[in-house]
Amino acid sequence: MTAKQSIAAFGASASQVFAFYFILGRKSAKTRVFALLGLVPVVLAVVVRIVMRGRAEDVMAVFTEILMVLFLQFYIVILSLFFGTSIVAEEIEGRTLPYLITRPLTKPGIIVGKFGAYALLMALMVTVNLALSYFIMNGYRLGEASLYLTFLRYAGVLGLGVLAYTAFFVFLGAVLKRAILVGLVFGFGWENVIQYFPGSTQKFSLVHYLKSLLPYRPAPGGKSTLSLLLFRLEPTTPAVSILTLAAVTAVLLALACWIFRAKEYLFEE
Amino acid sequence: MSAVIRAENLSKWYGNVLGLSEVTLEIENGVTGLLGPNGAGKSTFMKLVTGQMKPNIGSVTVGGRRAWNDPALFAKIGFCPEPDAFYEDVTGWEFLTGLLRLQGFCRAEAAERAARALDIVDLAKDKDRLIRGYSRGMRQRVKFAQAIAHDPEIIVLDEPLSGLDPLSKRKLIKLIKDFRSEGRTVLVSSHVLPEIEALTSRIVLIHQGKILAQGDIPYVRELIEAHPHVISIRSSDPRRLAAGFIGDAAVRKLTFDPDGKTLVIETHKRDAFFGRLTGAVLEAGVLVDEITSPDDNLQAVFDYLVGK
Repeated sequence: MTAKQSIAAFGASASQVFAFYFILGRKSAKTRVFALLGLVPVVLAVVVRIVMRGRAEDVMAVFTEILMVLFLQFYIVILSLFFGTSIVAEEIEGRTLPYLITRPLTKPGIIVGKFGAYALLMALMVTVNLALSYFIMNGYRLGEASLYLTFLRYAGVLGLGVLAYTAFFVFLGAVLKRAILVGLVFGFGWENVIQYFPGSTQKFSLVHYLKSLLPYRPAPGGKSTLSLLLFRLEPTTPAVSILTLAAVTAVLLALACWIFRAKEYLFEE
Repeated sequence: MSAVIRAENLSKWYGNVLGLSEVTLEIENGVTGLLGPNGAGKSTFMKLVTGQMKPNIGSVTVGGRRAWNDPALFAKIGFCPEPDAFYEDVTGWEFLTGLLRLQGFCRAEAAERAARALDIVDLAKDKDRLIRGYSRGMRQRVKFAQAIAHDPEIIVLDEPLSGLDPLSKRKLIKLIKDFRSEGRTVLVSSHVLPEIEALTSRIVLIHQGKILAQGDIPYVRELIEAHPHVISIRSSDPRRLAAGFIGDAAVRKLTFDPDGKTLVIETHKRDAFFGRLTGAVLEAGVLVDEITSPDDNLQAVFDYLVGK
């Protein structure tokens, strides 16, 4: 097979798998549970809006430092963990892998197609819940164009987060049998601790690059509420952050494809 | 006739457990039955043929191509896995059309083929029900349907008849026989000899990862016939019944269970013995409560063949 034919086979496989798993993913109980979980920040936004009535200037600070903590350090991590590790694991545990790997599909195409389908589902869940909470909190200034630009930037940051974390968890799922446990330690242990280390150590976490892209910064010397999200952040430039996240996603996904192609997955009898 | 599936010194192990050991085998067009008790290596062989696993030693080729990581080959293969595993949250229709789309068919052709396959397995009217709600037999049929919906040249069926009611079983057997006349290659596994017998006369006996015997049914039957069978008959007067068998050349040994109600007969001509049994019971005029054959299963036959 020539390189051109291989690329065409990979592309066809990925698009067929994407279409199949987007439908399966939409119907799964897992998606419904996580869509409901995404309503937590929305409910919180309603509560904050009621409590902060008349203090419009603090709304963006509260949004970034409370709601974005939920989105960035909990919601997208847990979503990516469960969807990402399941890309390989659900086929093994459900014994459905033979239906996939005995079709004329390339194995990298299977991984990339499922990754794409699940990433799109997660991005939709995140964007809908982000939009609801964001516009509930900023409902008093819906006429400002900057509001929508800022929203797009928040959504973009979370989208990049979904891609990078999911690629990491797909990689874990392709390598390990019990990837979810290691993923929990990474997502809620390593990522949560290392980001607060001063200097360049914090750059060994994915969340550092995501936080570096956030549009909101507290004014220097200004009164900040809860600075949990931006505490000790020594931001990387946006270009470097985007490149780093894109590189991490591409490399981990490529590694996952390579492992999935070479490895035999046996069912436990 | 040239071999479609060819295995040469094929060995596969899982850690310390041997799955297949130095299997050399050629499978030609038509239906070939892979017969062996559970854990014999049938599924391992089928997984190697369908490229789900790679051999540790030796090779397996399908149509002259190695199956591992050759997706183009899978357009020609249909595989029905043994486990009762599905995407549970989809309907039978979505399951089939989805898998046909993965096979590379456009939406319209996938729909046409799915409708035809569901019709063949009598699931057309249940196509819009979730697979989660299907009975065991329906699940087995939809699993079979996905293996044949794309009209593959080579069909690999791992225990396709298990869980089916007699009517569905008969229909599926007829269908598999039809594949033979269409010039396709079918490899079908079972641990039940009569099932394989109903499908084909060409069988491969596999046990503990090794090919024990291969050939047509009469040859294998001959091997099995030589195996002394034990048959227990619980009746109102076992001694009177035994008297009728004393002169029977097919009977090797007659014993009585301590309960005094059961006659235990050992024969090396099982079929001939059963042919005579009804007449003997009538002649003796006894009431028969139960007839059992403790070793009338494949495992016993295999144990006998491997000299245990």
